[in-house]
Amino acid sequence: MTVIGYAFEEALASLRRSGRSALVSIGTIAIAFVTLGGFLLVSVNVQGMLDRWLEAAEISIYLQDAATAEERQALEQMLRARPEVAAVEYVSKERAFQRFRTDFPELTDVTASLTENPFPPALEVRLRGGADAEVAAETLAKDVSGRAGVGDVRFDRRWLSRLLGVVTSARVAGLVVAGILMLGAAFTVGAVVRLSIYARRDELEIMALVGAPFSYIRGPSIVEGLLLGGLGAAVALAAVAILYSLVGRWLGSDFAGLAGAGQLRFLGYGEIAIMILGGISVGAAAGTLASRAAHR
Amino acid sequence: MIETQSLTKIYGREDYALRDLTVTVEKGEFAFLTGPSGAGKSTLLRLLLMQERPTEGSVTVGGRDLATLSPAEIQAYRRTVGFVFQDFKLIPSKTIFENVAFVLRVLGQPVEQQRRRTYQVLKWVGLQHRHNAYPLELSGGEQQRVAVARALVNEPHLVLADEPTGNLDPDLSLEIMNLFRDINASGTTVLVATHDRELIKWVGRRVIQLEHGQLSGTAEPAS
Repeated sequence: MTVIGYAFEEALASLRRSGRSALVSIGTIAIAFVTLGGFLLVSVNVQGMLDRWLEAAEISIYLQDAATAEERQALEQMLRARPEVAAVEYVSKERAFQRFRTDFPELTDVTASLTENPFPPALEVRLRGGADAEVAAETLAKDVSGRAGVGDVRFDRRWLSRLLGVVTSARVAGLVVAGILMLGAAFTVGAVVRLSIYARRDELEIMALVGAPFSYIRGPSIVEGLLLGGLGAAVALAAVAILYSLVGRWLGSDFAGLAGAGQLRFLGYGEIAIMILGGISVGAAAGTLASRAAHR
Repeated sequence: MIETQSLTKIYGREDYALRDLTVTVEKGEFAFLTGPSGAGKSTLLRLLLMQERPTEGSVTVGGRDLATLSPAEIQAYRRTVGFVFQDFKLIPSKTIFENVAFVLRVLGQPVEQQRRRTYQVLKWVGLQHRHNAYPLELSGGEQQRVAVARALVNEPHLVLADEPTGNLDPDLSLEIMNLFRDINASGTTVLVATHDRELIKWVGRRVIQLEHGQLSGTAEPAS
C-alpha cells in the first residue's frame, strides 16, 4: 500500500478514535465556512442585483411646471447630441401621475384625494454603459442643472454607487470575519490533530526509530486535518443550501421583483470549489503545522 | 563497522555521559557493551541510532559519519539498523504480524513479499503460530522475540540491543542471546549493551567495558 493509502487508513482510524473532539472540530470549521458561504451567497446575489440596477440607471431631469415647449425641445436636442446618451424619453405630468397610480395601486386613496397633479414633467435619460459611464453621467448632470426650464436633476447612479461602496465594505468586513473564524477553526483542527498525535505518540516514536520516512510519520496527521477541514466545509455547504432554500421560500416572489428580472441564485461551481478547497486547505495546513510542531 | 572518535556527550553544563570515547566494532563482530548503570552504554546506543547528537567527536557507521546525515538520511540509515529495546517498544494496537511487517511496509515492499518475509522471521523466533496476537497477550520473552524479529525483518547489517534481557528471567535471556548468536552467525554485526556478567560469560564474546562515560577496558572471550 502506498503512503497515501496508509495515511488515509490511519487518519480515518484516528478520527474514529477522536469521536467527539473530531465532531467539535468539524463543527467549528462548519461555522466558519457557513459564515464564508453566507457572505458569498449574499455577495453574488446583491452584486447581480446591483449590476442590473446599474444597467437600468437613469438620469431624471425634472422640468419646471412653467417650462416652455421650446426650452424642453432645446434640452432634448442637446441631450440627444451627446455620445453618452442612449435614449431620451419625455414623461408628461399626466403620464407621471398615471405611472405612479399603476406602480402603487395600494395608494389609490391618497392619489384620489389629491386636488392637483403634484408630479413634474420630466426627461428620462438612459445612458450608455462603459467604464467611464459614471463620470460622463456626473458631467451631464452638472451641464443640465443650470439650463432654463430645469427644476431638478436626479442621478440614480450616484446612490447606487454609494450602495455599491457600502456592499463592498460589507463584503470586506465579511471576509475578515470569515478569515478570523477560519483561523479559529484551524486552531481547533490543530488541537484535535495534536490530541491524535499524543494518543499515537508511542507508535510514532517507534516508527521514527525503525526509520519510517517522514511521509509515513506525518502523513496521517496532515490527512486527518484535511478530512476535518473538508468535512467541515461540506457540512457548511449543506447548511448554506438549507438556509438558501428557507430564505428563498420565505422571500418568495417579492425578492425576485425587488431584484428586477433576476432570481435568487445559489453559489456557482466556483464558489463551491472555493469553500471545499478552502476547508481542505485550512485543515491540511493546520494538520501540517500541528504535526511539525509535535515531531520537532 | 562502528567507529567512535573522541566521542563526548554532555547533558546540561557538566554532566558527562560519555567522555573522549574511542571504540571500534568490526564488521561481522558480536560485541558486548557493559558497565554499571550510568556508565554511558545507553547513551552510546542512542548516539548510534541518531536519537541524539554528540557534543564532541564523531560516530562513523559503515564508513558514514552520522553527523553529516540530513533528517531524511537519518531515517534511511535507521532502516539499515535493527534495534532491540529493553522495553520491547511494540505497537500495542497492532498484531505481532503487523508490528513486524510494518518495517517492510514503510519501505514500500510488495504485500506478498512483506507477508513471506514476516512469516519467515516470526517462524525463526518461534512465534509464527501467534501472528494474530497482540503484544499485550504475549509473555515478556515472547514480546522480546517479536522485537528481535522486527529488528531482523529488514536484514540489517547492524543490530543494536539495549539491555534486551533486562526484563526477562535467565532462561528467556539465554533464548534471546541464542537468537543474537544466530543473527551474528549469518554475518550481521551485533552490539548488545548489558550489565549481566553471567550472560556475557555464557555467550563468550568481546566485551567493551565503560565506566563514567569512559572506556575502562576491553576483554576478548576466553578461548
